[in-house]
Amino acid sequence: MTAEVPWRRLDTRMIWVDAVRSLLSLAPAGLAVGVFGARPGPAMWPVAVVAVVGVTGAAGDALRWLKTRYRITDEHVERRTGLLVRRYRSIRRDRIRSVDTSARLRHRLAGLRLVTIGAGQHSAAGEAALALDAVSRETAQWLRQALLYDRPAQPETAAASPETELARLDWRWVFYNVFNVWAYLAAAGVLWGAHWLATTFGLDLAGSLAGLVDWRQPWSVGLGLLAVGAFGVGVLAVSFLTEHWRFRLVRVPGEHGTVLRTTQGLLKTREVNRDDDRLRGLAISEPLLWRWLGVADTNVITTGLSMWSLSPASTILPRGPVRVARSVATRVLGAEPLVATLRRHPRAALRRRVGWAVLATGVAAGLLGWLAATVDAVPGWAPLAGLGLLPMALAAAAVAYRALGHTRSGDYLVVRSGLVSRTTAALQSRAVVGWCLRQSLLQRRLGLATVVAATAAGDGQYAGYDLPAAEAAGFAGRAVPGLLAPFLVTDQESPQ
Amino acid sequence: MTRTAAVLRLRPPRHRVERRAVGWWALRALLGTAILVGGLGTGYALAEPARPWLGPPLLAAALLGPAYLLVTPPWRYRVHRWETTEAAVYAASGWFVREWRVAPISRIQTVDTTRGPLEQLLGLATLAVTTASAHGTIHIVGLDQQVAREAARHLTALTEATPGDAT
Repeated sequence: MTAEVPWRRLDTRMIWVDAVRSLLSLAPAGLAVGVFGARPGPAMWPVAVVAVVGVTGAAGDALRWLKTRYRITDEHVERRTGLLVRRYRSIRRDRIRSVDTSARLRHRLAGLRLVTIGAGQHSAAGEAALALDAVSRETAQWLRQALLYDRPAQPETAAASPETELARLDWRWVFYNVFNVWAYLAAAGVLWGAHWLATTFGLDLAGSLAGLVDWRQPWSVGLGLLAVGAFGVGVLAVSFLTEHWRFRLVRVPGEHGTVLRTTQGLLKTREVNRDDDRLRGLAISEPLLWRWLGVADTNVITTGLSMWSLSPASTILPRGPVRVARSVATRVLGAEPLVATLRRHPRAALRRRVGWAVLATGVAAGLLGWLAATVDAVPGWAPLAGLGLLPMALAAAAVAYRALGHTRSGDYLVVRSGLVSRTTAALQSRAVVGWCLRQSLLQRRLGLATVVAATAAGDGQYAGYDLPAAEAAGFAGRAVPGLLAPFLVTDQESPQ
Repeated sequence: MTRTAAVLRLRPPRHRVERRAVGWWALRALLGTAILVGGLGTGYALAEPARPWLGPPLLAAALLGPAYLLVTPPWRYRVHRWETTEAAVYAASGWFVREWRVAPISRIQTVDTTRGPLEQLLGLATLAVTTASAHGTIHIVGLDQQVAREAARHLTALTEATPGDAT
């Protein structure tokens, strides 16, 4: 290649998009003044805010377009941006771990794509992935080919490349995503937004809705709550479907092995590519409140993907039935660690949890008693309420105990634990970069020990809690042969 | 009929930490207790309305602090051990909750020695061995400064000679 690679601009169509965006955000204000004859005053605030936010946003975007340049050299991806503060960012190409494209509605209408280049940055340290907002669809395709497969795009071969479909959206998954407490929050948000905008046009939406409910009749209030809940469920269903529209999980061959790709979205599309080379395992978590429904979240354990975002790139399936999650996991890994039978942990682990439950309840009751004695506002029966938590705490102890399990399955070690969200994690042995055995004096008396595998991928550590003490070191030692061997000794011990 | 089963367990690492580490732990506990009791005590003496709130924590700190100071340093000295081999770093630490940590040389990213002011006073150093995992760092405290430096040099040389991608 030539010595100097020219810098490139983002796509010119952004300017048009920004212009249209400004016009659109001015539209409600124009409509309010021109058609409804609204007078400047407090009622105009909402549309004014919409107009100002829209126009400044679009103007800022246009300035950003003006000042942003990027280029891809043989070794680096570089980007310069910023009007007042010039920022320069470069990422070494061999460190690039994911190239994702997504598009909001305005991007899609203009044929633009937002490209996010991830390079194993630590989001905890405040590092963000390098984002190019936005380039044309063709450029996005070219970038992905060039950066992930190290070759220019060849549309014909890319289209013809065999891909294995691992999962696609099932309509029934909607039911796993709408019945939760967020329904009320979603309903409240949408209704409040509608009310806020409607005030500009002289409508009192909240008042007319509240007027439908007879506040003296409990059944009427109950019906109202139910109606709001149903509306919220509808909102969640629509948002789930638009987000996961035409969701597909496929495995596509690339130059360095294969890539796990998810594509989804109706208005805002999103495509995430995960290098299979960096796949280290898979975790399925089942939230407690929906365990009866068999709801599960599926995440891959990989190095270099941020785990801490609302829709992490590690999520490879929408929330759905655990049966599907397990079968997809098996096909993704090409092994069956997540359907393997787990070894239960000894009864002593239950005793330990019950002990903690009793202790926590006791402390809560004690604190409430102290508060009742010192603060007048706290009634005298408060400590009894603290004791009332005991049945719940005991139930939680039993649930947490039942969640425990561990095993080895082929090259994977599998651990399961968690009260609020029972997580089964299968981690490849080769991903383990260290072991930690932990034992408190009480655990020692109960014959238990906790084994923690440290890894560079996913959460950074995966723990098997309260294994039998006699098995803990052996489990860790056999899971990663050789590492612990020099430190292990054999005891001859007769079983009880 | 009773049958004997082979049970694998971790043996303790070879080396103890320095005897002076007991003094270091004691000094730290003393300073921590002094700051806590001093702060709470000042609050108790100055702010009369807050006394019902500050009294119990002050009492607890005044009783538990010295107990912690007397009990933990010798206890920690019995537990804390370390060793390095050609293939791994191995350390045991803790007192009530004990930890045995192992990191393979091939996965080591950095080896640091640090010396805080109290450690300097006693001629001690802490050896920190980090791997690619955010949770896999091994801290070996209470080493003689010379020993820590030597161990760090040894580990760095080993790491360079050992192939591995550290992830």
